[in-house]
Amino acid sequence: MISRGWRMAAVATLVVVLVVFLTPYIWIFLTSFKTRLDALADVPVWAFTPTFEHYPKIFIDKGYLPLVWNSLFVAISSTLLSLTVGTPAAYVFARYDFPGKEDLFFFFLTTRMAPPISIVVPMFLLFSVLGLTDKPIAVILAHTTFNVSLVVWMMRGFFADIPREIDEAAMMDGHTRGGTFLKVLLPLAAPGMAATAVLCFILSWNEFLYAFILVAFEGRTLTVGIPGLVTPHGTLWGQVAAVAVVATLPILLFTFLVQKHLVRGMTFGAVKG
Amino acid sequence: MGAVLDRGTAPLLLVPSVILLLVILVGPFFYMVWTGFTDLHYALPGRDGSFVGFDNFRRLMQEDQIFWKSFLLTMKFVFWVVTIEFILGFALAMLLFHYIRQHRFILTLLLVPMMLAPVAVGLIWKLLLQGDLGMVTYYMRLIGIIDLRTAVMSNASLVMPAIMMIDVWQWTPFVTLVMLAGLLSLPKEPFEAAVMDGAGPVQVFRDVTLPLLRPIIALVMLLRGIDAFKEFDKVFILTGGGPGIATEMLSIYTFRINFKNWDLGYGAVSAFMVYLVVLIMCSIFYKAVYWNEGRAKPPKAGKS
Repeated sequence: MISRGWRMAAVATLVVVLVVFLTPYIWIFLTSFKTRLDALADVPVWAFTPTFEHYPKIFIDKGYLPLVWNSLFVAISSTLLSLTVGTPAAYVFARYDFPGKEDLFFFFLTTRMAPPISIVVPMFLLFSVLGLTDKPIAVILAHTTFNVSLVVWMMRGFFADIPREIDEAAMMDGHTRGGTFLKVLLPLAAPGMAATAVLCFILSWNEFLYAFILVAFEGRTLTVGIPGLVTPHGTLWGQVAAVAVVATLPILLFTFLVQKHLVRGMTFGAVKG
Repeated sequence: MGAVLDRGTAPLLLVPSVILLLVILVGPFFYMVWTGFTDLHYALPGRDGSFVGFDNFRRLMQEDQIFWKSFLLTMKFVFWVVTIEFILGFALAMLLFHYIRQHRFILTLLLVPMMLAPVAVGLIWKLLLQGDLGMVTYYMRLIGIIDLRTAVMSNASLVMPAIMMIDVWQWTPFVTLVMLAGLLSLPKEPFEAAVMDGAGPVQVFRDVTLPLLRPIIALVMLLRGIDAFKEFDKVFILTGGGPGIATEMLSIYTFRINFKNWDLGYGAVSAFMVYLVVLIMCSIFYKAVYWNEGRAKPPKAGKS
């Protein structure tokens, strides 16, 4: 039914599309290996002798390495905290009925969508009162505002996918309800949980505004270090590009791991991939 | 928890997550609402947060033209990026669905822009669009789209279209991803029946594909709309709201009131307006996507 000509046109379009979507990233990747001369050339330079000076210079000499550890620490902690409090909640949503259930579910959605700019000012004041500003814990807590609800929404779907007969069989075997949840349902939902964890990690790692307001010095994450790289008088693009690559490449590798669950994660469980 | 977990006590498992969110999100939210009724200001003496009633709201509604300009700018931004991303993303999804058998790998490559930190996206495009040295500006000059030595980010008439273009670059793949999942989840029978009745491709698209995809179309547009409305990171690093206030969208404006002018009382009102719009879009999203399936069911729109 589909003619050869149409298929060729489709493939050609797709090639153009891929070039448009990928070239900017490839360009920043290349720039991170260019000498200053190549990076500032009048005509874009595509082939050049690579230099590896920018990575050690920005991460070691200029002290950007701790920012990477901060980002890792914040993202991992926020993911673990969100999974710990969110997974039991998701289980309850999947298996029990109680008054106000769907309203509560909607509440979780609103926390996921809440605009950071609206919340960050009072949150900053709250954390100053508690003496938590400029500590990673402030950012970790801020990031749980969207990650807890991501866990609840995603894990509800994964628990709902497990047939109820499995619960019943486990309870016939003498498990309590708690035991059924911990020993039977959690292992079954583990792949979903892993995907959820990776998505939480990505959201936290990529987040900027909360981290930018809540930590200014030692606790800075990598995204917070980015705006400081751009100065009105002469930006060192090689080093900037190196930071951009380190800030994004791990996430891209992670994405390929969870691609199967990405649709579900990014549409609040509404569409399954 | 073991033995005590039964129908009556199971909802207790919700308590940790709800308390956490009440303390770090709902608490601050109400504090923001309260601040909106005070004259709290960190840079002016004597403005220590006394109650001023609806003064801030009145100022926002009646006097602050910059706020409404910013609101309009944000709405225009949302309208254009959602429209363009939807059309391009849907077309791309159709193309992958109909013509490409091995679309999984191509989809993986397409996902790159949407997984990058928005701040990094801003940075990347700052490099690409530098006035005289940017790679993209170079090729745009070469094919004559812009003049010699135009700095895109400091040109008041080019800067908004450029930021929209960057958003389109980042989020079109998201629309493609979701719409493709939607297309793959559709049942085959209605299409076969339509073809049997002699419908052409255009008719099939208009009368079968579009109606079946309606819930997913609503979902993807609302999700993108909400996100675009909150846009902060990219604009912050690309222009900071400038030149002048040419790109000062609501989040950036609210940021300026709070963290540059330190006018926290008034800033709270502006922040509240942002929250309100998002909340409204959020409830439309919830109703559009979940309520039509009956309230008690777990969320499901597509098939696995």
